[in-house]
Amino acid sequence: MEDQREFERAHGPTMYGAQITRANPTCLVLLLDQSGSMVDPFSGDQNVRKAEYVADVVNHTLHDLVIRCTKTEEVRNYYYVSVIGYGGQVGSAFAGALASYRLAPVAELAEYPLRIETRYKRVPDGVGGTLEVPFRFPVWVHPQAAGKTPMCEALAQAKAIIEEWVAEHPKSFPPTVLHLTDGESSDGNPYQLGQEIMALSTDDGPTLLFNCHVSAQRSAKIEYPSTAAGLPNGFARTLFEISSPLPAGFLAAAAQLGVRAEAGSRGFIFNADPSSVVQFYEIGTSLTGMTPYRWMDS
Amino acid sequence: MTPQGFQLRTQQFLLQKSGQALAECEDAIAVNAARLRYAVADGATEAFDAGSWAKRLARGWVEAKTPALDAEDFGAWVEAEGKSLHDSWAGLRLAWYAEEKARSGSYAAFVGVEFSPAGERPRWQAIALGDSCLLHCRDGEVLASLPLSDYRRFNAAPVLVPSLTGLQRAALSQAVASHGEARDGDLFLLMSDAAAAWYLMMTEVRDPRRAEFDSSLAGSKQEELAQLFERERRSHRIKDDDVAILRIEIAYK
Repeated sequence: MEDQREFERAHGPTMYGAQITRANPTCLVLLLDQSGSMVDPFSGDQNVRKAEYVADVVNHTLHDLVIRCTKTEEVRNYYYVSVIGYGGQVGSAFAGALASYRLAPVAELAEYPLRIETRYKRVPDGVGGTLEVPFRFPVWVHPQAAGKTPMCEALAQAKAIIEEWVAEHPKSFPPTVLHLTDGESSDGNPYQLGQEIMALSTDDGPTLLFNCHVSAQRSAKIEYPSTAAGLPNGFARTLFEISSPLPAGFLAAAAQLGVRAEAGSRGFIFNADPSSVVQFYEIGTSLTGMTPYRWMDS
Repeated sequence: MTPQGFQLRTQQFLLQKSGQALAECEDAIAVNAARLRYAVADGATEAFDAGSWAKRLARGWVEAKTPALDAEDFGAWVEAEGKSLHDSWAGLRLAWYAEEKARSGSYAAFVGVEFSPAGERPRWQAIALGDSCLLHCRDGEVLASLPLSDYRRFNAAPVLVPSLTGLQRAALSQAVASHGEARDGDLFLLMSDAAAAWYLMMTEVRDPRRAEFDSSLAGSKQEELAQLFERERRSHRIKDDDVAILRIEIAYK
């Protein structure tokens, strides 16, 4: 919050307005908890493992980014993307041809999924009912669950990527970091690193760091709070403190999804349920205020 | 008054986004001087084959045998055009992402106006959906602007004309139709969203750049217009977007 106020004092209140173009792309970092506990059921549902559900949502998010950047038969590099997994090891969650990238151009994502599955979804049939239609579902990230929770090392890797990005792209829409975790850090307090990431700025504003916490239990969720009051413990308060306020375009995306968020709301969910996780990634990648799934499927 | 009782003088201006080629511009302008029909369409940047959809809408509308000027006619006409667009994609060998994108169809904003003689003065009839606008100006004032008249209401997600039949009924219910009378010297400006929002803002704040624009457009000074918009883009007073402008001036004989 203070970084944004400082920024507005120096540059005026026109943050997060940079157009995302091929000449002025932006950067997206997905931080993914792949610790051993991610094998547990999600939100009390014995049929859904956290790691599997989250990998699915991440793959869907990457699919959507590719589609959004597709201009007829060409994929334009509006985004550069990193997926960092942390658990038994910390590093890129990409494999194959993408493994060598710290930040993969979205056109490379389009060309090199690990595989493409055929899935089905229900769509309106035009006469009041629905019908099931196939769609192509590329897979870039496999579910993984092993080891402890080296969150600080993952944040440090994200910070290094973003430092390089803002130095090389000073006029870009600021980087966005979407961090999903199911528990406390095993390698120290992430507060300082989170603050350092949020202090890295382009001319258009400070880096956006959003956090989503998921739980094995079905517990009351807290979505996009504007104050730390009411958070259940110190870990939740830490995540709140290292979560950026949602800029106007993201608030608009939240509103379109029917999610309650207001000026000052942080990009933070505690005890997210499955639908909250989907919305977290949709809002976090809306960037210009557009909600892509809505737009594509409405 | 007969069709020979007035003249329509037109000027056009098309400008692509910064750093792109004109061939990448997804705005389209169409004129049918014989039928006195004029249209501008703006293909949605994120849609599949949006430039083709915009061209098809603009050209198809001005060339149609009967004018699609009310909601019913417009809906039937858009459905046929959408099917033609999707037919044109049949047989393409597409990568998975292009196939997925094509499945979502294409989108464009559209505005079209037709002039016709009626009584003592020519009349105009227009239909619009999205954020491409028709501005009716007289003596330097904007008398009417549709479908949007306030520059603050332009946003990133307007309701657009979809190519997919299943999406058209809901979207086209938002189309705005209007009509009126045109006097000697009246100006009609058809503009895609960035230019329309800029022009409405300049008009409201009485900024002298509007007069500069009016003069350059009336004189078809393409280079001056391009320079003006480049300056406005750098100053962030206008969005860096494709620009399509069609100016129609009414002159009684």
